Amino acid sequence: MLSTENLSKTYKGGIKALDSVTLTVDKRLVAFIGRNGAGKTTLLRILSTQLKPSSGTANVAGYDILKQPDQIRRKIVSIPQEASTLGVLTPMEHMKLYLIARGFSVLQANEESLRALRELEMYDARNRPSDTLSGGMKRKVFVAMALAANDEITFLDEPTTGLDPVSRFEVWAAIKNLSGNIVLTTHYMEEAQELAEEVILVEAGKILEKGPVKELLRRFDGKVRVESILPGSGDYQIGRTYVKYVKQEDAEDFVKKGYNVRRITLDDLFIVRGVTIEP
Amino acid sequence: MNPRFSLAFAWYYGFRTIKRGPSYVIASLSSPLTLLFLIYIISKGELIKYAVVGGFLGLVASVSFASVADAAFLRIQLRIQDLFVATSISPTDYILGLTLSYIIFSMPGIILYAIIGALIHIFTLESIIALVLLLVILTVSTAGLSMTIGGAVNHIRNVWGISAIMSVVLTVLPPTFYPYSYLPKYIIYILAISPTTPAAVLAQGFFGFEPIMYTMIPIMLVEMVFFFALARFFTRWREN
Repeated sequence: MLSTENLSKTYKGGIKALDSVTLTVDKRLVAFIGRNGAGKTTLLRILSTQLKPSSGTANVAGYDILKQPDQIRRKIVSIPQEASTLGVLTPMEHMKLYLIARGFSVLQANEESLRALRELEMYDARNRPSDTLSGGMKRKVFVAMALAANDEITFLDEPTTGLDPVSRFEVWAAIKNLSGNIVLTTHYMEEAQELAEEVILVEAGKILEKGPVKELLRRFDGKVRVESILPGSGDYQIGRTYVKYVKQEDAEDFVKKGYNVRRITLDDLFIVRGVTIEP
Repeated sequence: MNPRFSLAFAWYYGFRTIKRGPSYVIASLSSPLTLLFLIYIISKGELIKYAVVGGFLGLVASVSFASVADAAFLRIQLRIQDLFVATSISPTDYILGLTLSYIIFSMPGIILYAIIGALIHIFTLESIIALVLLLVILTVSTAGLSMTIGGAVNHIRNVWGISAIMSVVLTVLPPTFYPYSYLPKYIIYILAISPTTPAAVLAQGFFGFEPIMYTMIPIMLVEMVFFFALARFFTRWREN
């Protein structure tokens, strides 16, 4: 689906957002995961032809991002992280405008917009000016655009940031319904676990690890995470919390000693690498 | 080219916006109408015809100059431009869509000025045709200039000031609302850096208020091509 070779990006002022990233992605639903500023959005913007890399190259849907951006743009949908609705326009109008930009006829745009809005349970709100919608509903307008455009690759940059739990579940359901390949970024571990066939851990512009969630978590098989606020009581320190990994059968002893026991999640991949993730 | 997109953008962003937010129309009318009133009072009605014809041009130009803020807001704050970059539409489609929107934004004001103009009997068929052409060319030039500047702005907080300065300096300073013959010729050529100047000088000529200054025709056409090309090549479509 896509590949990169030594992809780097340094912004004006010398901030290095990506550092020689080389990777191949061939799973249908892939999540780039990392904390804010890790380089996820930069990578997504480069892959979706919105931003030029400083060096290196990438292929998306078989086309070179630098030499063939127009061919790529016909095959992708990209929903930026901070995209906001135009307050006076309704969800239906946003959708139709976007689909017409993608080459749909007015009639097709109308039909596909209605279908997507129904699927996301936004049909009743279709004619409300978007400045009267909740934050979650506004975000869902953009997911509905991707759903209606239904293209080969959909890039979603933090699609559920700022959404309440119910809206988040609805967006997840909608993302699962997208038919093409999906590349999303998130800093929610449970989102990556819920949606992605493969996760790619990004930190400081580099790829830390890549693989299916189960495979990445295999090193923790039979273990749990125990946490304490007592100094020196763990192998890893996250803020004021000390963490260590112990066998599941020993967990009860640690509970008696005042430790909190947590099940293993993708967070732990970052913790063992000394990266503090957001709660 | 995707003209369907440009038209749809103009319909949704232009027409729907003024339909649901009429305050935008009142704001764009406030400055030319205030000037019209002042000129009427100060000249005891003598220069009213200049102010009405200038009002058409001033309105279109100030709406387009206000678009510096619009273009930057859509790109930086709403990220709407990013959404369209990853489609097959070109920067030209986007610029045309925005330009058509500004023509729509100006329509209520143009209708109002047309009524005032009809009441004071300044129109002939030839002058109407000339005015329509001048308004279209002026919109393209000023929108192109605005989008170039709006595309270069990095922080949204800088843009409101730039837009206000452009609107006043490039619309009020040129002989938009007063006879161009009040100015020495070399000053007219200096002021011709603003697309509003050749438009105003020509309009006064075509309406028969002043002699037609033909040298302004090539200046206006060159500025239209230049500012549109500038916007086409310098609109930040794919960022570096």
